[in-house]
Amino acid sequence: MRSVSPAQGAAPRTAVNLKVLAAGAAVVLPLLAVLALNLGRDPRAVRSPLVGQPAPPFSLPSTGGGAPLALESLRGHPVVVNFWATWCVPCIEEQAALTAAARSLQDTRFVGIVYEDEAAAVGQFLASRPAGYPTLMDPGGRTAIAYGVAGVPETFFLDADGRVVEKHVGPLARSTIASLVARARGAR
Amino acid sequence: MVPILGRTLILLALLSASAGALVALATGARPSAPGWLWSRRLAYAFAGCMLLANLTMEGALLGHDFSVGYVAHVGSRSVPAWVSIVSLWSSLEGSILFWGLILGLYIAVATYRNRDEHAEYMPWAVGIWLVCGAFFSFLLAGPAQPFATVADPPLDGPGPNALLQNHVLMAIHPPFLYAGYVGMTIPFGFACAALFAGRLGEDFLRPLRSSLLLPWIFLTIAIVLGGWWAYEVLGWGGYWAWDPVENASFLPWLTATAALHSALLVERKGTLKAWTLTLIAATFLLTILGTFMTRSGVFNSVHSFTQSAIGPTLLVFLAGALLLSVALLALRIDALESGGGLTPGISRDAAFLGQNLLFVLFTFTVLLGTVFPLVMEAFRGTQMSVGRPYFDQMAVPIGLALLLVMGIGPALPWGRATGEQMRRALLPPLAGATAVAVAGFLLGVRNRWTLAALLCGGFTAQVTLREMLLPVRQRMRAHGESFTLALRSAQRRGRRRFGAYVVHAGAMLVIVAIAVSSTMSTSREVLLKEGDATTLGAYTLTFVKAEAVREPHRESLRARLEVVRDGRSLGALFPSMNFYERQREPVGTPAVRSGLVEDLYLSAHNIDPAAGTVALLVLVTPMVAWIWIATAVMALGGLLALWPRMRESTAPARSLSPGPAPALEVVR
Repeated sequence: MRSVSPAQGAAPRTAVNLKVLAAGAAVVLPLLAVLALNLGRDPRAVRSPLVGQPAPPFSLPSTGGGAPLALESLRGHPVVVNFWATWCVPCIEEQAALTAAARSLQDTRFVGIVYEDEAAAVGQFLASRPAGYPTLMDPGGRTAIAYGVAGVPETFFLDADGRVVEKHVGPLARSTIASLVARARGAR
Repeated sequence: MVPILGRTLILLALLSASAGALVALATGARPSAPGWLWSRRLAYAFAGCMLLANLTMEGALLGHDFSVGYVAHVGSRSVPAWVSIVSLWSSLEGSILFWGLILGLYIAVATYRNRDEHAEYMPWAVGIWLVCGAFFSFLLAGPAQPFATVADPPLDGPGPNALLQNHVLMAIHPPFLYAGYVGMTIPFGFACAALFAGRLGEDFLRPLRSSLLLPWIFLTIAIVLGGWWAYEVLGWGGYWAWDPVENASFLPWLTATAALHSALLVERKGTLKAWTLTLIAATFLLTILGTFMTRSGVFNSVHSFTQSAIGPTLLVFLAGALLLSVALLALRIDALESGGGLTPGISRDAAFLGQNLLFVLFTFTVLLGTVFPLVMEAFRGTQMSVGRPYFDQMAVPIGLALLLVMGIGPALPWGRATGEQMRRALLPPLAGATAVAVAGFLLGVRNRWTLAALLCGGFTAQVTLREMLLPVRQRMRAHGESFTLALRSAQRRGRRRFGAYVVHAGAMLVIVAIAVSSTMSTSREVLLKEGDATTLGAYTLTFVKAEAVREPHRESLRARLEVVRDGRSLGALFPSMNFYERQREPVGTPAVRSGLVEDLYLSAHNIDPAAGTVALLVLVTPMVAWIWIATAVMALGGLLALWPRMRESTAPARSLSPGPAPALEVVR
């Protein structure tokens, strides 16, 4: 290693430039704080702004031309609102779990709302795989928009007062349905 | 056996990096010949261990040794050999191991090249590099262990992520990105060394700048390769979506570009030293931030690795590096800045300064847009996305301003320009600006921003070409040389300057191509039955049939579409959907017919061979190919500037503009 020439090697001044220190801290510390606060969060977990709010009301015709069903009429029971479509494979997979849950959870009302699908296709599908709860058509997708549905399946859990307690994205298993309904019951 | 060998190599790497860091930093504080010798030896030892560990892993991947944790996690007997090789960087642990390899190679080469030079700085630099090396070895030894032993090895593994297997660009993009990202450690080490030493001598500028330029070239290529991959694979027809992880690769590029320019001002005027070092440190810190973004699971993106335990560890490292940089700058800034100063008024100096400020503004804009959703999440509990509109709104004016400054700066002389000089420098390129904009208008460009981009692009193109060829013209005139001879000798004598203008020409083309392709695309979504035809612009597409193709590692459905343009057949295109064994959702592969004028882009959303239908997105986008071509031009320019010079004593770039006096200087 070559020796350092004395002129160059003069010890640098060590006075702290406070302006630089303050500016650096002003940029660095908030950035670190934000990153630290977000550690451990699942970015794929979607939180709905509807959670904690009264669920948007609807009154929709049943499939096969049945009488309209209004959300109001289910007040006093926990409600599970499931948005689905026949073209959605995970929706078909979770249908059995929903039907079984509707049968075993007697106090809870289950409602399926069809998302961007044709009445004929839905009728055909339900004829071969009947759901154990009413299925409603959503002409123009107004209800789906009111609930902020981004894709199917999405399921909303409402308490007996009609407040949204939880929103679940993706197919549901029976155990998940049971625990989320329990929360909807307890939320009152 | 192999897991134990791998873990031993990792531990040796950790040991040599930590010991080397301690020795080197101590040598920086109290210079000694044995200290410097051992710093170097331990640096080479770290690189050697990383190289061997990576070779061990590649051997295990190719040999399907499922007793190695990482191989059991990403390996598969059914994938082609090239997929096995690139599996090294397909998942978290392997990607960190690969990072270690690149870091080791960079450190070894940088140490070797400067072994007899810059004695005042080198031990500090090696110390900082090896601290980074020790950190990544630590990750591999603990939180992200690739060589974990699998007690009961499976007979076959799942294979890497389907998106990685789906296109060969995925084999190329990550190595370039790592070469860019990891390489920024070297200039960071140099910058820290200058701060520790409390001075930045003229002789140290050259290694500082070339250590920044090399990873800059890799990063430039990597960013565009990523865009190209998105274009060829993701099927929505675009190449950039301001995804957090795309931003993560773009942020250090912005600050590195700014630093490359401000380093020139340091060289010419002896000023802006601390500013340049700040930009270099920021570049490195942004690469670590980007790594945190992809590896911590904090951001949601197509690039995200699975949530992992290394998030907190990376955050601690990032925090340490940030605080060290701020503290070093605050301690040393007053010692660094001495003498010099920028001439007030309109000049090339001012253009450099404006360029730097624009780049920093751009960096903050992108950083803010990327981090803002996290701020909202942390403090209000609501999720929101800033999304493309914000980025587009901010990026378009800043990008245009940069394009214009890229034309104005080189046209102006250094120092202060007189009114007459300014008129002579800035008026002629308006001809080029008008010509390009009018040509664009006649070809159908109506978008205001696109026309503005053409106007600025034309201005910059004329200035760039003039500056590029000026030394050639002068040689031809002064020495009576032929054009090719003059070009060669001028290029040899002023290669750095020539390379810089080649980069400018490429950058100008990229911006114009982005402006045109993002605003002038036409599209159509159709559902076709077999025998149906659809038209878009001059193209007529006839859906012939849907067919199934079997390959060892996947099944594909492809739609055969005959393409006719203006009555002339262009053959068939096959947009397809690929089904991988262990992935439920298919991965689409769009079919792209690239041309110099425009691209025809077919992306199938759904192919149903039974019903004989295809749901198709058809896009015609002009000038996309020019983004890829112009990036190659930028990389070539960077290499030209980087290539070792024939003669060491080359004058820095000088204003060649008005007046014969400065022109003579160039000819020398």
